[in-house]
Amino acid sequence: MSVYPGFRDDLLATVPSLRAFAVSLSKNADRADDLVQEALVKAWDKQASYQPGTNLKAWLFTILRNEFYSQMRKRKREVEDSDGAITGRLSVHPAQEGSVDLKDFRRALEQLPEDQREAIILIGASGFSYEEAAEICDCAVGTIKSRVSRARTRLQEILGITGENDFGPDAISAQITNSVFTA
Amino acid sequence: MNYGKPNTHRGQEKRGKDSDPLGANSEIGRKLRQYYDDLITEDIPDRFSDLLNQLEQKSTEPAGNKD
Repeated sequence: MSVYPGFRDDLLATVPSLRAFAVSLSKNADRADDLVQEALVKAWDKQASYQPGTNLKAWLFTILRNEFYSQMRKRKREVEDSDGAITGRLSVHPAQEGSVDLKDFRRALEQLPEDQREAIILIGASGFSYEEAAEICDCAVGTIKSRVSRARTRLQEILGITGENDFGPDAISAQITNSVFTA
Repeated sequence: MNYGKPNTHRGQEKRGKDSDPLGANSEIGRKLRQYYDDLITEDIPDRFSDLLNQLEQKSTEPAGNKD
């Protein structure tokens, strides 16, 4: 029995966003679909813990994110066990290739650490508030803010975008990081 | 005022972009949404609606009915 009529349809309606988030996290389309599948099964099993009327999308994103990190920890252990080194560089599915501009952006995004990548996706693309993103990532609002800010600065550096933020401490850190990158 | 140039560029707002660092004035923000929209508009494989149908079916069956 569903927690409320239409629960199934509401889950299905969030699949596009869940997939986009999963691809952004895992950098791999096939793995992303597996993540979404896992998240849907988990969500179904624990639907009693969902309170109707609260943000279903945020609830699902939390489940998917937890699944991603627990799989990542598991994989890391497995890879370390099997060949003693972390080789886990995941290739991008060819279907994800888009325009040159978008490809560059995707590559840049993939260079970000997970915590920064997820923060900037949740805030800048998935449409969550800082408060919601903090809840999804189980951290403080200030932490999300600083991750978003660092992610944005880093993306600007990688993509060579200037002029948006050419004042204040960011400009200085940009110079330092740029010189490291071009060295 | 030193802003001598005519303001023909898209909606350059005064200074309010601090509150929304990924807003319409931000190139990163625009690229980010473009990237995400591209993902979100992909066709959804049938496996997800099939899966949800299965889950719904399973939960309406009597308990203990495992395969």
